[in-house]
Amino acid sequence: MKKIKFLLIALLFIGLLAACSSDEEPQAEVTEDGKTIIKVAFKDDGPSNPNAVKYYETLAEKLKEDKDLDVQFELLEVAQGDYSEKLSLLLNSGEIPDLIYFQGGDQQIANQDLLVDLRPYIEESEYLKDILQPHNELRLDNYPYLLWVKPIDYKVPVVRQDILNELSTADALLADPTIENYKSLFEEIVETGNADYAMTVAGDIAELDFIFENAFGINQTWLETDDGYVFSKVSEQEKEKLAFYRELYEEGLLDNQYLTKQWDTKEDAFYDGKAGVIVGTNGKVVDFYNTRVKEVNGEEAELAVLPPAKGIYQGFGASDVTKESRGVAISAVSPNKDLVFEILDYLASPEGQQFDRLGFEGEHHNETDDSIELTDAYYSDWYARYWEPVDVEFTKPISEETPMLSKPGLESEQLASEYFAEDNTFILPQESISQWDAMENLYREYSADIITGKLPLDAFEDFVEEWYAAGGTELTELANETIK
Amino acid sequence: MKAKLKRIRSDWILYLMLLPGITYFIIFHVIPIINMKLAFEDYRIIGENTWAGLKHFQVLFSSPAFMDVLQNTIIISTMKIIFIFPIPIILSLLISEVRSGPFRKYVQSVSYLPHFLSWVVIAGIWISFLSPDGGFNIIRNFFQLPSLDFMTSKDHIRWVLVFSEMWRSAGWDSILYIAAIMKISPHLYEAAQLDGASTFQQMRHITLPALATTVVTVFILNLGFFMNAGFDQVFNLMNDSVISKIDILDTYVYRIGLLNGEYSYATAASLFKGAIGLVLILGTHFLSKRLTGKGVW
Repeated sequence: MKKIKFLLIALLFIGLLAACSSDEEPQAEVTEDGKTIIKVAFKDDGPSNPNAVKYYETLAEKLKEDKDLDVQFELLEVAQGDYSEKLSLLLNSGEIPDLIYFQGGDQQIANQDLLVDLRPYIEESEYLKDILQPHNELRLDNYPYLLWVKPIDYKVPVVRQDILNELSTADALLADPTIENYKSLFEEIVETGNADYAMTVAGDIAELDFIFENAFGINQTWLETDDGYVFSKVSEQEKEKLAFYRELYEEGLLDNQYLTKQWDTKEDAFYDGKAGVIVGTNGKVVDFYNTRVKEVNGEEAELAVLPPAKGIYQGFGASDVTKESRGVAISAVSPNKDLVFEILDYLASPEGQQFDRLGFEGEHHNETDDSIELTDAYYSDWYARYWEPVDVEFTKPISEETPMLSKPGLESEQLASEYFAEDNTFILPQESISQWDAMENLYREYSADIITGKLPLDAFEDFVEEWYAAGGTELTELANETIK
Repeated sequence: MKAKLKRIRSDWILYLMLLPGITYFIIFHVIPIINMKLAFEDYRIIGENTWAGLKHFQVLFSSPAFMDVLQNTIIISTMKIIFIFPIPIILSLLISEVRSGPFRKYVQSVSYLPHFLSWVVIAGIWISFLSPDGGFNIIRNFFQLPSLDFMTSKDHIRWVLVFSEMWRSAGWDSILYIAAIMKISPHLYEAAQLDGASTFQQMRHITLPALATTVVTVFILNLGFFMNAGFDQVFNLMNDSVISKIDILDTYVYRIGLLNGEYSYATAASLFKGAIGLVLILGTHFLSKRLTGKGVW
């Protein structure tokens, strides 16, 4: 009896070892009715989200109907919390889905050759190659593992139209948005009692930079000088910019509690009339701000989009083209790579776009004989999970009565696209990450202390010295070798 | 051996009840210790990890940022041990002196309540309370004192961590001491009262000596978590102006290790933290044994 038990246990172990040490290519999983199972990890789209389940079930039906593809999506539950952190833990546990949405943390996975180079697929694609935006093409050239076809994601300043109409400085700003005209507008917003402070931002000055940085001459991360490239944050232009922010803070034009503001308290301050101006990502986010501000303050409170400040340059900043900061990737160990890309390509087709961007027919939109009408549920509930090219084609035009974006949403998107500029930053070597973290913290703390008056403006020189000592010298050398 | 097996067989229900606890500790505490070997390897998702020796420790200790966060961790943890540890003991002594049943229950419930709030909520409350126009500054202004922005003040932010932690945990942590006090025989107090002992004398000569073992055990066990200066708390209360004062090991490991996927580096930092905790537990245990005869075991 004992011998039989021993034999059975030994056999079980051998079986387990054989299973673990198999070098064979992974096989595609199929359902009993022959559908290929595609595993998907996507933010907020777990199996416990009924909207996500319905989305992927409908997508599978449309793929069968339009492309004759037999697929069944299996949504993976990514634990609650910070998505990039939880996704990273999921992937590092060895569970690698076929289709993965990343919002950071992808580089480490790509470094282990676990993500597919998308360029050959895109070249061969039927639709995707035609909807790539200029920034997508640049980013794919530098980092071909992530794809995110969306409008360029600048943050643009917005103010309530009814407040803007009351301000005598508004016309001058709209005609010539210099730094001085911006400041005059900010002063008038506060003086007229239209807000407690002219502007608030969420926690740091990155949002202010979208409006003003170019005007101070900071148009790229690395500024070209006679002595080579210099990191913009240790430049003289940066010092001038900080001096201006300090002025705004001292005069109560910049929210004196901006350092402890989060994105939600920032938005609340705007809706409640404490802040006159905030910035929001162009397109859908501005659209959302517009809906919310009108709900709280009435129809006349529709938003007006402001242009970026004009000075040495004008723009919303340079867009990092080293890689997509978020996007969709295909697993290199997936047995369904071609099929997954075919699905992504379908989502770029007129039929795929109509479904992904306009939602379920009868719920989020209705088709008439000659147009598509969007419903209230579209504006309140729906968002495109995948591609959102600026020029989009559906099977029928959208009714003029129900545009996809509100006027400010559309204006913000056009303005952002008008000011698209390419940055010259580069991907840091992995071993420099802890050094970079320390240098970034140094900047964040010095800039906050200078703006809030805890340190004099001259302390900027100490910061520059410390930044170079903390690794800035080596980084500047690397930049001068890397940037052509 | 046979006697042991016999005892196990006769008390099998008790051992069965022990099983879930043991399973939990094996899965969540013993297996992770074995996997700490990752600190000496380069992690690969697919395939075998490669041996890296002490590479990650060298990077860790050579980073000036690491030394700064280590210093912050030690300072914040020391402040918390010194200023927070006695509070639940004092609170339990005070609560045990409250004679009115309903009032005592009310005080206990109110003091336990913050323990059930997440740090996101607590951070919101404290940021609002300590803002220049918040409740605390209104009180200061009433006494002709100027408003202070405590949340962005380098001089005050560590105290904000201490007091917010104290507010959150004092009530809950006092449960253990209240239970220990309730175990003290009422006869001892009756005898002391007959001998004319005052309330303070009863506390000093009966309650505190009876609490000593619990206090020493809790203190030594707390020291094991000395390097856990409070990730959730710091993460939610940090802002750009105070990074250099409250950036701790856990937030550093989170940024470098988890967000950037440097798992081996993060494991090396955690192993270092764990080693310090172990040394502190053993050191305090043996010191306490020698001085007071009491320890964890």
